[in-house]
Parts: sequence; C-alpha cells; structure tokens
Amino acid sequence: MPMDRMADMEEKLRILEDLNMIYIRQIALSLKDSDIQKKIDHEIRMRDGACKLLAACSQRDQALEASKSLLTCNTRIMAYMSELQRMKEAQVMQRVARRSSDAGPMDDRHPCKAKVAISDLRIPLMWKDTEYFKNKGELHRCAVFCLLQLGGQSFDTDMVMVDRTLTDICFENTIVFEEVSPGFELRVELYSSSWEDGGSAGSTPRKLASKLSSSLGRSAGKRMRAAMEPGGNSPTSHGGGTTLLLPVPSVPGPKYHLLAHTTLTLTHVQDSFRTHDLSITANEECSFWLPLYGSVCCRLAAQPHCMTQQMMSGQLRVKLGGDPQGWTDIYGVLKGTKLFCYHKQDDKEASVDPAVTIGINKETRIRAAEKDPHSKAQSICISNQYGGEEVTHTLSTDSREDTQRWMEAFWQQFYDMSQWKQCCDDLMKIDLPSPRKPALISPKQGSLYHEMVIDTSDDISTVTDILTRRMHDSDLRSRLEQATPTPVWLSLFEEDCSPPTTPIPSHYQKPPVPRPCSSPRSPARASPRCGGRLSSLASLTSESDSPCSTSPCSRHGWTPEPPAAPPSFRPRTLSLDAKLSSLRVRGYSAGLQCACQTPAAVTSGSPHRAPALAGLSCSSTSSTSSSSSEGSGGPDSDLPFSRPGAAGRSARNLRSKLDPRNWLQSQV
Amino acid sequence: MSQTFHIPGQPITAYVQRIEIKKLREGSNLILGFSIGGGIDQDPGQNPFSEDKTDKGIYVTRVTPGGPAEDAGLIMGDKIMQVNGWDMTMVTHDQARKKLTKKSEDVVRLLVTRKSLEDAVRKSM
Repeated sequence: MPMDRMADMEEKLRILEDLNMIYIRQIALSLKDSDIQKKIDHEIRMRDGACKLLAACSQRDQALEASKSLLTCNTRIMAYMSELQRMKEAQVMQRVARRSSDAGPMDDRHPCKAKVAISDLRIPLMWKDTEYFKNKGELHRCAVFCLLQLGGQSFDTDMVMVDRTLTDICFENTIVFEEVSPGFELRVELYSSSWEDGGSAGSTPRKLASKLSSSLGRSAGKRMRAAMEPGGNSPTSHGGGTTLLLPVPSVPGPKYHLLAHTTLTLTHVQDSFRTHDLSITANEECSFWLPLYGSVCCRLAAQPHCMTQQMMSGQLRVKLGGDPQGWTDIYGVLKGTKLFCYHKQDDKEASVDPAVTIGINKETRIRAAEKDPHSKAQSICISNQYGGEEVTHTLSTDSREDTQRWMEAFWQQFYDMSQWKQCCDDLMKIDLPSPRKPALISPKQGSLYHEMVIDTSDDISTVTDILTRRMHDSDLRSRLEQATPTPVWLSLFEEDCSPPTTPIPSHYQKPPVPRPCSSPRSPARASPRCGGRLSSLASLTSESDSPCSTSPCSRHGWTPEPPAAPPSFRPRTLSLDAKLSSLRVRGYSAGLQCACQTPAAVTSGSPHRAPALAGLSCSSTSSTSSSSSEGSGGPDSDLPFSRPGAAGRSARNLRSKLDPRNWLQSQV
Repeated sequence: MSQTFHIPGQPITAYVQRIEIKKLREGSNLILGFSIGGGIDQDPGQNPFSEDKTDKGIYVTRVTPGGPAEDAGLIMGDKIMQVNGWDMTMVTHDQARKKLTKKSEDVVRLLVTRKSLEDAVRKSM
C-alpha cells in the first residue's frame, strides 16, 4: 500500500512539474524574450541529464559531481524564473505608468557596467586537536564546493574533498561575472556533503546499519543514524529554497546541504586579498558539518567599463597650459582616468605615445568656459592639481554639439567614478585562468600535518634519522660550524643514532654544559610545576628560534627528575608535529634539540598537556594560538646567540613559509 | 626588551634603529622596495620572522635588491614599530600599507627593531 501511495505522489509531482514548465515557458513567450527562454530550456535539459546520471552512476565521486551539477542547474533555473517574474512585473508597471501619465524622472543617468571577478577563495578550518588525534583509521570526509550568484548568473567552483588533514579549503577557480552594476550583491554559498552520506547508506539493510552505527564512535554513529533514517532526505535539500514552484524529483544519491554563506558588495572590492565573515547555517550535529573558522579570504576585483573601454573619442583642439595663443589639433580618446590626445587618429592604432595626457579623476574640475568671440563653440577647461600647482588645459571643438557631447561624456565619466568608487582609482587586473588539466593538482592536498609523517616505529632513532637526513639536504651543518663553534650537544646526534633502550634523560647527563646558564629562572621554574620537563620544554617552544643554549639550562632542570616511564611514544603528537614542522624554518640548531626532547616529554605523558606545547603549530586554529601565549611564558633569553642571519636560513624553506596564501604580504 | 612574551596593553620598550627611506618615483608610483607582512587582522602564527608567535606586528618579508629600502639599511625580518610617527604595532595590514604608501610623502622614517640589534646592545653593556 505505501508503495502505491509513493508512486502516486511521484506521478502527481511530475505533473505539477510539467505544468510549472509550461507556465514558465508561457511567461517567457509573453515577454518575447527568447534569450531567457532558451537559457531555461537549456538548464532544464541539463537538469534532466544530471538526474539520469545520478540515478545511473555507481562511483561515489561521479555521484557527487552529478549532484553538484544538479544543484547548480536548480539554482540557475530559480534565478531565471525570478528574473522572468521581475521582467513581467516591470512590463506591467510600465503599462500602468503610461496609462496614468505619471512619468517618472526622465534622463536618468545610469552608471556603466563592470566585469567582476572573484578568485582564490580560501576558507580556513578550525579542527579541534582531539578530533585530529583520536581516531587514526576513520577519516571523516566531506565534499564541498562553492556556489556564487550575482544577478541572474550562477557559477559553481570545482568540488574539493575535505578531511581533517586540511587546514583550509582552497578553490582554485576564478569566476568572472559580466555586465554587473555597482549595486551588485554577490552571494557566496558553501555546500557540503558528507562522504558517508547518501544513496549507499540508504540502501544498507537495517540490521547492518544499526550494527555499523553502534560500532562507530558516538558522534559519527549519530550522524550515520540520522542519514539512514527514512524520510531524512527531504526533497528540498537539492536546491536552496525550492518550493512547489519547482518540485525536485527525489533522486537517490548524495545531497548537498548549505553550510555557510556570505554576501559581498562593492565595498568589499579591492585589488588584493581580503578576509570576510561567513555566516554558518549548520550545527555540529549535522553529518555534513565542518569546523569553519568563520571567515573566507578571496580576491574580489572589478573592472568598470569606464576604465577598460574608451568612452568617447573625437577631434579636438587643445590649448596647452602655458601657451596663450596656440591651438593644437589632436585626436582625443577618453578612457579610464585619462584623456589621451594623439596627433592623429592613426597614432592610437599604431600605439604611438600620445602627445598630451590629461588626467581625469576625482580631483579634476571641468567647466565650460565663456564663449570665445572668435569661434562659435564654447571651450572646455580641465583643471588638475599636480602637486600643489593647478594646471589647466583648454579644449575646443568645431561645433556646439560636439562640445555638448564631450561635456556629457565627462559628466558620465564622473558619475561612473562616483558610483564605482575605489574601482576607478586604478585598473584592477583580472586574470582569466588558462584551461589546464585538473590532474595537475596532487591528490593529497599538501597539508602542514602531512609534511612530517613518521610511520615506522616512532622512536627517537627514526626522528634522528630524518633530522640528519634533512641536515644533509640543507647543508646547514657547514654553516653551523662557521657560525658558532660546534656545540657539544651536537655530538649527541653523531654518536647516538640508535638508542632504543637507554632511557632518554641519561643522554643529557653526559655532555658537560658549555655555557653557564645565566638565567636563574628556568631551573627554579622547573620544580614548582609537576612535569618539570614540560615547563622546560615550554621554554624551548617559545625560543626554538634563538638560543640553543637555553637547552643546557633546561637540562639542568631535567636531571634531578627520574624518568617517569619507559620511552613509549605516542605517534604524531601535536607537539612533535609542531616541533618538526618548525624545523623547516628555524635554525636547525635549536630545532634539533626540540625534536630530541619532545618524545621524552610525551612519555611523562598526560595527553592533555600536549595542546599546551603547541606553540608553534602552523595551522590557523585559535585554540593553539591561545595556548602558545601560555607556553611561551618563558624566561627571556639572556644568552646572546647570533643565529645565522637571513643568508644562512634555507631560502627554500623561507619561500614556502612566505606563501601569500598562508600569510598576506604587500609590496610597498 | 624581550619580544618573546608581550602582554597586550602593557607598554613595549625596544631598541630601535632609525631608517630613512627616500621613495623612488617610477612613473606615477612611489616605491620603497620592500614587502611587509603581518597585522592585527592576520594570523601571527604564519610569521616566520617573529619570535613571539602571538606578535601581530608588521614585519619586513622581502627587500628588493638595489631598491631604496636596501640602500637605507632595511633588512628582511625587521619589525617596523613606527612609520613617520605613526604606530605600527597595533594596526591592520592594510593600515600599515597605507601609512607607507602615502602619495604626499617622499620620505618615510621608520623605527625598526631586530633581534641582532638587541643582542648587540646587550653585549656592549
């Protein structure tokens, strides 16, 4: 019985859908706008295709791509339909206005349109370190993409797989919107779909499903159970806000849900990267949840037509500033913030430099001068301030109409500049991406956490092997020997390459401390806190950059304490990651010790301390940055240690650290 | 001053060096010849030059060889404390950039601090 009812409903929905299509087509026809009609037809065909593909495909990622196209098509159809309705309304209003002879203000000045491009979208994530470390096997993944809408145009970015090894979601696409007016609103929506979610889960038999959900972790199981509940997949989840106007066929398969959104306008347009706030519309209980930091970085640029196209051109006569009598015949071209005056029209084609360039910007003043008794036409005076001086150029044309047209062009230019504000200061570059194969992007998006993977038995021998290998690579040893006399502790690494059994602290009792520790605070500080190792390690985290010689100090603090437990290391702790990733940038001298002593810190072992040592974690998580201030409450380094200067640092590592995607830099 | 740990709100003391850079005119632009990073709106953990990873100050990330900044003695890794009297320790990235690129000024006088400077002073004391 229920099956019949389902089939019945489906059929009713299909009929409604067809009726809606007819209605839409009618409106389009009545408006005699074949353009939108064609677009709607195209989108409907795409949508049907996507539905069929979704039903047919078996591969997970194919299904996700098809679902994404489906969502985009739906959004586009909605946009076209609302546009149609608006046009219909406008038509009706116009007819009413004409009838009532209540004409609106004529001669409205319209600002010029622009090309708006948004690129390099980056959404930082904020993983909790507990989530990062607790389960090694299961990797909760989500497929995300961004939907960008402006006016009637909608575009989607490529799909990106996100799991907890990523620190940011990066979209490589550049999306260009044409013919945009200054009051635009660019809506950015982030959709995500959980990897476990979707058709495959729906078809799981009940018993197996309950077994699965009980064997997974608590939160993951909750999500799975929610996903597998019948009726959990609402038909409206395929497209934002669809109602009966466009009933969506309920297709099995992965569904995307809105995770966050924001709206960008003219005030957000700038020639460089900017950070904007995101409004998050989901909560942690959803299966498609991702811990977003709450902002999105992107570059939103606009090229108004007044800056890229020539707005006016014609023959002019110009009287240059200092010359009282002479009029020069030139061919003038008004483009962007300048009026170019060429000797001949052909010069412009030949890219010869103009004879005169007159700036037309916000500070320019233009006025029509008094009638010249010798000629019939009025002349136009353009005044600019060049560093305190006022320079005036006078233009004159052959006829009154020409003068009027030039004045009109100037007024239009000023109006455009006032509407487009900061976009008219300088031309913003918009790079259209060259089509390239997506295979260029490596499958594992390089994450900072992946850079130092230690997969063999995580003991100190492995760590030291890796470190010594890195040292050879970067050729630091020779530099170190030049910079400072070889510190005694360096011998540690040469002798002890495989110390699996000897307990750690005994290593450090061996070498005599070369420099007296002049900061009395650190050994004293070691005792009051339990786990004195941790406190001395904390001082290391803050100063790994500078004095390696703080470590002799802290070793003082170490020696009185007996080893708490045999060296059993927890692989890939946050502190280890932080130290090892900091190695890539800092002087290796200091870094070597950090890594050496870190596993020992882990042995003393309360896992909740690990976050406190995460002072150098390079992710943009707020939790670690707050604990870094706690961890770096160490003594100031009184010991002068001239670390190798900028030349000594490995240039390669620095360049990678100075990646503008991680950290904004500006050239001045 | 040790820059390893600063409590926000407390006054900073530092050993600074004065650097006067004369801007170079290139067409209609005035360039200084270096790049900056940092700012209170940026992530301080990404700064490879700072000792204190919560330091949101403005740092010099690159110095163009042969440019006006290099001639004046600016070095990569310097932290800019003031520009022509304007404070740079609590500004956004864009505010810092604007203070450096004012079209009406031909010269910027910076106060910069660097670790080696501090050490040198301390050694000589």
